[in-house]
Amino acid sequence: MLYDVLVIGGGHAGAEAAALASRAGARTLLLTQNLETIGQMSCNPAIGGIAKGTVVREVDALGGVMGRATDMSRIQFRMLNRSKGPAVWSPRAQCDRALYRRAVRQLLEAQPNLRFAQGTAASFVIRGGRVAGVVTKEGLTFEARTVVLTTGTFLRGAIHLGLDPQVPAGRAGESPAIEISQAIAAQGITRERFKTGTPPRIDGRTVDFSRLTRQDGDAGPYWFSQFERTEHPEQLPCFLTWAGAEVKEIIQRHLQESALYGGAISGRGPRYCPSVEDKVVRFPEAARHQVFLEPEGLGTAELYVNGLSTSLPANVQLAFLRAVPGLASVEMTRPGYAIEYDYFPPTQLYPTLESRALPGLFFAGQVNGTTGYEEAAGQGAIAGLNAALQVQEREPVVLSRDEAMTAVLVDDLVHRGVDEPYRLFTSRAEFRILLRQDNALRRLYPVARRLGLLDEAEIRTAEERLEGQETALREAAETAISPGTANPILAAAGESPIGEPTRLKELCRRPGVTLASLLSATGSTVNPEHAEWADIEIKYEGYLVRERDAATRLAELDEVPLPATLEYHSIQTISWEAREKLSAVQPTSIGQAGRVPGVSPADLQNLAFAVLRQRV
Amino acid sequence: MLSDPITALATPPGRSALAVVRLSGRGAFEIAARVVPTYTPEPPRTAHLANFVDGDGMLIDRGLYTVFPGPASYSGEDLVEFSCHGGFVVPVRLVSALLAAGARAALPGEFTRRAVLHGRMDLLQAEAVGDLIDATATAQARAALHQLDGGLSRRLTDLRSALLDVEALLGYDIDFPEEDDGPVAPARIAERMTDLQDRVARLLATAPAGERLRAGALVVLAGPPNVGKSSLFNALLGSERAIVTATSGTTRDAIEAATEFLGWPIRLVDTAGLRESEDEAEQLGVGFSRRFVEAAEVVVACEAAGGEAGKRGSYAELESRRGGIVRVIMKADLSPSRLPRVPASGLHTSAFTGEGLDELKASIVRLAFGEQATLADLEPGLTRERHRIALTRAQTALREAMPQLSGRGDAVLAAHHLRDAARALEGLVGVVDVDEVLDRVFRSFCVGK
Repeated sequence: MLYDVLVIGGGHAGAEAAALASRAGARTLLLTQNLETIGQMSCNPAIGGIAKGTVVREVDALGGVMGRATDMSRIQFRMLNRSKGPAVWSPRAQCDRALYRRAVRQLLEAQPNLRFAQGTAASFVIRGGRVAGVVTKEGLTFEARTVVLTTGTFLRGAIHLGLDPQVPAGRAGESPAIEISQAIAAQGITRERFKTGTPPRIDGRTVDFSRLTRQDGDAGPYWFSQFERTEHPEQLPCFLTWAGAEVKEIIQRHLQESALYGGAISGRGPRYCPSVEDKVVRFPEAARHQVFLEPEGLGTAELYVNGLSTSLPANVQLAFLRAVPGLASVEMTRPGYAIEYDYFPPTQLYPTLESRALPGLFFAGQVNGTTGYEEAAGQGAIAGLNAALQVQEREPVVLSRDEAMTAVLVDDLVHRGVDEPYRLFTSRAEFRILLRQDNALRRLYPVARRLGLLDEAEIRTAEERLEGQETALREAAETAISPGTANPILAAAGESPIGEPTRLKELCRRPGVTLASLLSATGSTVNPEHAEWADIEIKYEGYLVRERDAATRLAELDEVPLPATLEYHSIQTISWEAREKLSAVQPTSIGQAGRVPGVSPADLQNLAFAVLRQRV
Repeated sequence: MLSDPITALATPPGRSALAVVRLSGRGAFEIAARVVPTYTPEPPRTAHLANFVDGDGMLIDRGLYTVFPGPASYSGEDLVEFSCHGGFVVPVRLVSALLAAGARAALPGEFTRRAVLHGRMDLLQAEAVGDLIDATATAQARAALHQLDGGLSRRLTDLRSALLDVEALLGYDIDFPEEDDGPVAPARIAERMTDLQDRVARLLATAPAGERLRAGALVVLAGPPNVGKSSLFNALLGSERAIVTATSGTTRDAIEAATEFLGWPIRLVDTAGLRESEDEAEQLGVGFSRRFVEAAEVVVACEAAGGEAGKRGSYAELESRRGGIVRVIMKADLSPSRLPRVPASGLHTSAFTGEGLDELKASIVRLAFGEQATLADLEPGLTRERHRIALTRAQTALREAMPQLSGRGDAVLAAHHLRDAARALEGLVGVVDVDEVLDRVFRSFCVGK
């Protein structure tokens, strides 16, 4: 069987790559070391969060599985940043790990074009300078026209726990992938090491909950999926405690036994996801650090100790855990650990996430130096889709930075590169008022529709939703509300009353006044969920215009191409630093060159001159 | 493919009879229409004579404008070219009016870059288009400039750091809502923001001094018609730069010359007499005079010896302005012994004998360059107009951010305006990269679970 797209790995990147390639009509194979762990959450049991929640909705809008799987497995939901502007509202859900895996598997198996196989990829079949398939360690050959590599932390993965010898592993208890990493390096693709960590897990039956602060989710409805309204499982609380002076003292005392501080680890780790050792060393003046106890799932009492990621020896981990309020007699079920793994600097990729060195091979997820399930999913979607489109000889999909948070991610990776594990933040986006979680479907539905990624029911749902939103916007502009009806709503929001009938649009510009409340007071039949989008569009109206203008200017620069043959080192009019950076990144347009760090506006201008000279 | 509208002076600043101001990009025609009340795009590539006015409807100049629809224009975009009177004041006011009407100040070489990108210009031609020519600064002025520039880089480093501080606080506030330190106290952000605004304002306050050193102090000869301003103008320049006649109201336009007094750069302007006139063309000249007088660093108030009522002119309106005034009793050679009322600070000057000229120059320099003339400790400050424009833009953006930092504001919008400020300052402090902001967040806060 010749596959169009072969996806190596069944994590969050692999699942989306497989889902989107098969939805695009490609005959797709998902090859994984263990079919049982498709959709496994290796680290914290949560999906979404700041910027990440937006990516989940974007992937969902393209037909991906993450949003639906989260809806089907979530045991707590919160909208983060509710107190800030709607541009940065960020949905996040705690999930039952087992339910999540089951949901992903089920959603993938619903794709008729998708097949599954268990095996460890060991080398590539290469024909005519292109990847043509994969050979497994077990000796099976799978022929494929394109391959998407989504192997996460498995490539030469090594687990560190205290000063014990490192244990080769892709995740606790699972084998690493050694050979395939060598096979990639053999293609002349540079590889580097990163590290990350995970905290211990504990037995909830040994926790004194009376000493903890309970944290419940939001009551209101929310679905990540913009197509389906699935039933959520029973909802559970998280619990909040903290690590204080005693914990810090224990960690200080054993610091030299930490893999991180004892010198066993050389790779760089993420600063926004520090180990507790890091926190103690870098912020000695901090009195305490928060600890979140998050349920692993419905069917188990096991808890995930978020906030205490560590590579200290297991006995030290137990000792400091017992110094945490509420955990005095806790039993640890699994120790935390640090893991080091190979990644391939993503500046070696095209914006389609295809390798420059080996055509037909696409990279997505942690192999590109990112962290996070959502970042992996976003890349998986783009890589899987582009692999399918390449086979079908269709135009590639390269989203722009004003179209999707996912595009900010991919563009940053390919043009800026990474020097620590990359995580998305809203501040990485120039146009964060455009890139919201509430308008993801609106932004990406046209792409999904054009590429044929959605079935008829999904298309119907999407169009109803988008039309409903527009109706809400229209009613807001056309409907006037009487003072008698409006003033109680305004009073409740702490706003001054009106004296004469006023259009809803004018009133909902005021902070704290929602269009939904005004519409329902006027007896409108608009769905409040649809009203929310219109409300946000009205509140941000002037800013949206400015961001779109700025995006247009950016797009103009993106239309000026840079030849692939450009010899940056011979361009004497640009700075040495810019020459180095541009040579490494090989941008394809002036606009992209401008986003490479170290390239100044003056460099950019001289680059434009140099390009035109070459053309003459 | 049209880019955002930009404008700039296309001819070297100063010392010219005519100046050309270009306006190019999307919406160029709409912007031109705001400055030219009689604007018409038809027929293209034809010069139209018209009044140019500022946002308040005040006349800037009467000149020619020509409309070039893209792509057949210098830049390849919709473009309007204005020919106005040269010198330091009129072109700057015209550019300012275009900025106020919606254009952005062009970066150095930006028109040319656009021309090249749109295939309108061959590359050799493009490379021959040089940077704008700096006004010549003399030895003393250069020393003062050097001192200003030297301290400036340190101040800009501090400004950059203050900007990063606020960016980091807002970035933390938005992207890290669940951390150990909890949300940032609004007062802390407000305090850093105020600090940033103060820095911008302090730098802006130094701009006039820097500009004076680079471009020369504007010194305007004012007074009633036929009092002999043009003779004094020539005498001060030491050459026949202005037309001088004995007919009242000859000098209708302002005439301007770049020169130096005792080593300090001066832009000397001879204006039409400060008197209402029924002659329409002369009225235009009088309008110019008032405008020059308002902008001048030093006004040389010329008064006829003998004090004929009609020739003493309106000093009242000079006294209300901020710059320095030197009062001069003119034509001392024609009336050597009969000087009935000499003002206390008045100097006697004769354009024919040169009497009092050196003393006059020294007075002007003292008034125009007071603090710099001693080369004492100078406040480091701005020396370039584009810096001033950048800081003014940043100041506006910061002001817009403030209400969004209050209780009912939106942190995202505050951050949006703050980014605008950072972008405006890019030319001064360099690009503020998101990674640098995140660095500061990670250094200042213990983030991450």
